[in-house]
Amino acid sequence: MAGSYNNEPLLEMFVFETTQLLEQLEQIIIANCYEQENINEIFRIMHTIKGSSAMMNFKNISMLTHKIEDLFYFIRDNKPPNIDYSKLSDIMLESIDFIKLEISKIENGNKLDGDSSPIREKVDNFLTIIKDFNYKAEAAEEKTENSAEKAEEDSKIQNDVLSNKKKFKATVFFEEDCELENIRAYTLINDLKTIAEDIYYIPDIEKSDSAEIIRKDGIQIWFKTDISFNDVHSILSKTIFLRNMELIELEESNESNQHINSNIKQFHTDVASSMKDMEQNTHMLSSNQSMISVNVAKLDKLMDLVGELVISETMVTHNSDLEGLKLDNFQKAASQHRKIINELQDIAMSIRMVPLSATFRKMNRIVHDMSKKLSKEVRLEIIGEETEVDKNIIECISDPLMHIVRNSIDHGIEPTEERKAKGKPDVGTIILEAKNVGGDVLIIIKDDGRGLDKRKILDRAKARGLMNRPESELTDKEIYSYIFLPGFSTNENVTEYSGRGVGMDVVAKNIGSIGGTVSVDSIPDKGATITLKIPLTLAIMDGMIVRIGNVSYTIPTLNIKESFKPKENDVIRDPDGNEIIMIRGECYPVLRLNELYKIKTDITSISDGIIVMVESEGKYLCIFVDALVGERQVVVKVLPKYIRNFKKIRGIAGCTLLGDGSISLILDIADLITE
Amino acid sequence: MKKVLIVDDAAFMRMSLKSILERNGFEVIGEAENGEMGVQKYKKYNPDLVTMDITMPEKDGLQALKEIKAYDNNAKVVMVTALGQEAFIMDAIKSGAKYFIVKPFKEEHVIKVLNDLSKV
Repeated sequence: MAGSYNNEPLLEMFVFETTQLLEQLEQIIIANCYEQENINEIFRIMHTIKGSSAMMNFKNISMLTHKIEDLFYFIRDNKPPNIDYSKLSDIMLESIDFIKLEISKIENGNKLDGDSSPIREKVDNFLTIIKDFNYKAEAAEEKTENSAEKAEEDSKIQNDVLSNKKKFKATVFFEEDCELENIRAYTLINDLKTIAEDIYYIPDIEKSDSAEIIRKDGIQIWFKTDISFNDVHSILSKTIFLRNMELIELEESNESNQHINSNIKQFHTDVASSMKDMEQNTHMLSSNQSMISVNVAKLDKLMDLVGELVISETMVTHNSDLEGLKLDNFQKAASQHRKIINELQDIAMSIRMVPLSATFRKMNRIVHDMSKKLSKEVRLEIIGEETEVDKNIIECISDPLMHIVRNSIDHGIEPTEERKAKGKPDVGTIILEAKNVGGDVLIIIKDDGRGLDKRKILDRAKARGLMNRPESELTDKEIYSYIFLPGFSTNENVTEYSGRGVGMDVVAKNIGSIGGTVSVDSIPDKGATITLKIPLTLAIMDGMIVRIGNVSYTIPTLNIKESFKPKENDVIRDPDGNEIIMIRGECYPVLRLNELYKIKTDITSISDGIIVMVESEGKYLCIFVDALVGERQVVVKVLPKYIRNFKKIRGIAGCTLLGDGSISLILDIADLITE
Repeated sequence: MKKVLIVDDAAFMRMSLKSILERNGFEVIGEAENGEMGVQKYKKYNPDLVTMDITMPEKDGLQALKEIKAYDNNAKVVMVTALGQEAFIMDAIKSGAKYFIVKPFKEEHVIKVLNDLSKV
């Protein structure tokens, strides 16, 4: 059944929406705030996921969410006083993790093999416990209600005997698997009310097993009406999902009495109003209202097109055919045109921007889980979560951020006793802050723990041979920065959380890969601060255009340390014949781009060209080019698929279009240096 | 072509219903993600049929049904519900809903119910 819906966009939507809902749910659970409003919200989230996953035929998810929905249904309507909220949170988090794992399997195209039955059992047990408690309180109440009902029923029966309208008995069966037969029966009876009176029926549709009984035996209805047999028949035949029906006109005026037994229940018009009224759900994420979700690929395409538009605009307005012409009106129109295109470019960029809030809030969970397991008390404070960065960048900073936060809790924040002894507040604090500074975003992770151990870092750096200068010449900040060097890890006891064989060097590498930088500061016993500086977007970059022969290349400005005109005798050759240049007493390898990419150029003598010194991850390279053309903001484009599939070209990150319509390849400095 | 308004807070459900309806010759003239928007869009588009989820934020399907019925007593509203919500459907039926669809729904059920209702 669900298989027929199992197409790509639906699956994508399912994954997208469920992931969002889970995030929302996780925040509610972690906040540990089980107010009525939140209980409604949890119920609704579970309800939605249950429905969607059932449609997609993901049974393990739908069965689990169904159970949780039942649990919160009970909590919502009965407000049991004996809930162990901490245990409830544990079950909920476990469930969230389970569903998340299954979702990731869906995303990766793997089979859903998770078994939710152990968690379902926990939910069941939890529900049983709180129900047991409630049951006792309710038992007495119910008793009085029952007897009142019975009295009412009896009196109805009496009335019935006195009446003399035509009496009918109908037995109705519904189509197989139309589901909710009891409610279908209810609809039928509700319809009958308009033409009949004194309606009795078996079974009691409010009982939970009534649907099953109706499926097997049909619903039997006795009623009185003054319309003809044929009319009744035709009305009843219109019932939707009707499989078959038997209608009999009863002769005996009190025939119906014989059928009335304790199972038969008068149809009360107020039956539904006695049901629990649904809570008015006033809580709503108002931001959802005017938002749509768009596939990122479309945004990439848009950004791409806008980039091309910017370039074609230059090609038109600065067209060589126009040179020397006096075109006042044209210039006016062109300047208006340019203004609009610039605005369009800004908007296209801003569409790709997403707030950091979701990424930041993920950290709540990390703090919650880790502080629980490490028995430390830690509070996470989030500032500036509304700060926006490009969608692609967000994806790259989540892991580094997680790592830094883990590190802070594991190594930075002291155990409670130690904090007490130091006169610090019992609860440690980690502040996660984001703010815009110029064209960059700063993300600051600050803890009030013990800070970095300078001595330990120095010892480790020495042992690893990472020291490039004497200790006395290093500032504190430089010493702390050693933690970002590859292969550095001061903690001897690798823990479950921040150990894992990856250190801060991976953080530095990941942030570097999106054109960002990491820095650290620390005050002993006051805490450490790690600052990530990341660009707003990957789609636009500052680049230096260089020329070799008649080909131009773009070097990311971020990588450039300096450029200079070398002298002939600056360059020496190492024993392998590789060129090396001496600058201020240090040797750097030289790379001639014309040789690497086999470009014809007249400039081969080192003193005729220019050296651009670039750096990536602490390693340097001197690139020899003919000339510098100038610095530009360029729109980064990936190389077309047919080129990427054909061959991996060393040192090329992508390409960009220049103002004159020519293509410039963007150099991948990290790639050039490592090879 | 019958015009349908889909009211459901889950984008996934809206998408599922929409593709089913469009495959079967219905025109989806609007979607709403809560009861409040549902009522507003009903007034705006005057659809022939409405599919109404019950559990929604802001304004639930029952309330929205009542308001739509108050605005247009002939409104044809199909409640979309899940197993376990029997009590709500009974409420909905009392408030004038004629039909309901049970999630997870089957294409032929959805179409049958909508066709039936549009004939009434």
